[in-house]
Amino acid sequence: MPINNISGCIGCETCVQVCPTDVIRMDPKTKKAVIQYQADCQICHLCRMYCPVDAITITPDKSIPVVVSWG
Amino acid sequence: MDKPKTNKHLSRRDFIGFSAGAAGLAALAAMAMRSDDGLEENVTTINPDEIKTRETETDVLVIGGGMAGLFAAVKAHDAGANVMLVSKGALGASGQTPFAKGVFCFDAEKEGMTLDEYVAKVSYSALGTNNPVFTRQTAEHSAARVAELREWGFFDNVLCRKPFLHPVEERGIPVKERVTITHLIKENGRIAGAAGFGLDDETVWFYKAKTVILCTGAGGFKPNGFPICDLTHDGTIMAYEIGAKVTGKEWNDGHPGRSGNPAACFDGWGGSGGMFEQVPGTTGVGIRHDLGVDMNYSTYANGGPSEGGGMMGGPPGMMSGNAKGGPQRPAGLEDSGGPGGHPGGGGGGDGKRPSGPPPGGSGKGGRPEMAGGPPQDGQRMGPPPGVDGPPGGGKGGGPGGKGGPPGGGKGGKGGPPGMSGSPVGGSSAGMAIHKAEGLVPINPQCESTIPGLYAAGDALGSYMAGGIYTQIGSSLAGSAVQGAIAGEAAAAKSSELPAVSISAAKRKQVTGEILAPLKRSAGYGPRWVTQTLQGIMIPNFIIYIKKENLMRAALAYIEELRDHHMPQLRAADMHELRLAHETANMIVSAEMKLRASIERKESRCSHFRLDYPEMDDKNWRAWLNIYKGEDGSMQLEKQAFNTWPGGRPAKTA
Repeated sequence: MPINNISGCIGCETCVQVCPTDVIRMDPKTKKAVIQYQADCQICHLCRMYCPVDAITITPDKSIPVVVSWG
Repeated sequence: MDKPKTNKHLSRRDFIGFSAGAAGLAALAAMAMRSDDGLEENVTTINPDEIKTRETETDVLVIGGGMAGLFAAVKAHDAGANVMLVSKGALGASGQTPFAKGVFCFDAEKEGMTLDEYVAKVSYSALGTNNPVFTRQTAEHSAARVAELREWGFFDNVLCRKPFLHPVEERGIPVKERVTITHLIKENGRIAGAAGFGLDDETVWFYKAKTVILCTGAGGFKPNGFPICDLTHDGTIMAYEIGAKVTGKEWNDGHPGRSGNPAACFDGWGGSGGMFEQVPGTTGVGIRHDLGVDMNYSTYANGGPSEGGGMMGGPPGMMSGNAKGGPQRPAGLEDSGGPGGHPGGGGGGDGKRPSGPPPGGSGKGGRPEMAGGPPQDGQRMGPPPGVDGPPGGGKGGGPGGKGGPPGGGKGGKGGPPGMSGSPVGGSSAGMAIHKAEGLVPINPQCESTIPGLYAAGDALGSYMAGGIYTQIGSSLAGSAVQGAIAGEAAAAKSSELPAVSISAAKRKQVTGEILAPLKRSAGYGPRWVTQTLQGIMIPNFIIYIKKENLMRAALAYIEELRDHHMPQLRAADMHELRLAHETANMIVSAEMKLRASIERKESRCSHFRLDYPEMDDKNWRAWLNIYKGEDGSMQLEKQAFNTWPGGRPAKTA
């Protein structure tokens, strides 16, 4: 998984704002950030770096197949 | 209709029937997607009929929240205009700017080099492809922009949102974030504003403006291993649609990734403590001829990457000279392996041959040296995109750096190793060398061929560096300098113009086009179409090692996507609506890239034709522009090097 867990969210919404590919949204009920569109994570770690409470875990594998120039 | 449409999924068998037909169109892209990513009924989660339309007004509209957009907004404001900045993401946290860490700062005294000497050196490396006016402009103004960035705290922060907000909030410039602009609006032959939609407010927005500055960056095909998946050439395509001329689509950016976890761009640029987690710095003069397709060529010629050879962890024949028939280089500018270097790679080296780290290695030896100083040949660390990299990676660190975990650093908490394995091409596929593609400028003020429309940074085809990587750090510097110049020019122009209006008919047409994917009852999923496009365009033998027959074959696929799939893209919510518009932009970009590459029957800089491997100065001392013909088809034209459109000479003096 790319971004694969948010634990200990304080609901500041910063990660939602700074994700370049709109992966994270706020859950309207819990008022906490949720991973809404994981397939579009580009594994850039901006959300994790901006998170004030270190709540986000990211792994280097993509959740959908990837295309490279050769293999 | 009060409720979103009810769910009515196709059966698995129905889906297989559809996908088999579609897969026949794109055998190259035979990938396992989830069934609901393909052709499906559109099950919307919001009600498209309830989406509101709103309008607002400004003098100067800046589109884009990176380095160019920041300076465009600040300088237009300081020149007395009302300014609004609208960004697809957040100011300072979208596009390539957040990942760029080196800013070129020209100091004639320190370098012992005049501006003219500097321009001559860049022009020599660029084989004539650079526009010397923009090459000089960036160097000339770089120190002033760097001083402002320093004042705002840019060089004191790993992350640049706070330093970017500083001058914007200080001036009270309104910023609209998470708004995807899809249309530029032209009325009576000149720019009248732009339109798009908000991700959060679920609203279609019209921005009336006397002048517009596109600071939308460049783009790619949402490739893996480079943080440009939010960049899909949006600005270029919306400007093309209203008649602007576009240039430079034949050039490539040759940043590679690695074969293990190829999408892990953070890990690829050094992982924890690596490039993305360092504060920015400045770079001095360091002119190269890098990041073309040498690596792609040597892999193509030698049968694929393997361990050993010229570079540990790299393919044999990594150096251009080792593979016969490959791209040519100007004498004295041997491939130093970067500024690009390789993701996952550390620095260090003996100055001539890149001595990379073990595959995926990353260690302290590979840390970029941020401040000052010309780059050392052979010192390499992958630069962040947009950055051209800081000079040198690691101070003379031995191969491999020291102590880095395998796999390019920790991939999060307890996760598997990050990017690893052999270098593999295509991490920035679809993008050209910074500032070699984008809108055709008609003057040094960054004005486009559409009256009132300006572009700056990677959205402007300024050819500041040429069709190959020349000056390290010039991308961020160039974006800052061009943003400032375009901002001042747009403010001055706006002061002469009356208020603009957007007709009701235009509003209705544009609103319809924006919301169309949401309103379709069925259609193609944008992710599936994107992956199909990636499968057509990204293979080494299409986009990098170019041959007429293969490019024509790829073009036939892309035309099918354009004619059949683009009009049938579906979107279930605002996020997918953005994906649908991005996908359409990538399809048009792919067509441009193929047509330009077919047209340019020579090899030069980052454009390599296997069937025309020589440089052809007789016919091709020219840039290649693309514009929309009267019948709607893509038209191409040459523009001689060192001229403005219409043939006026582009002189630095």
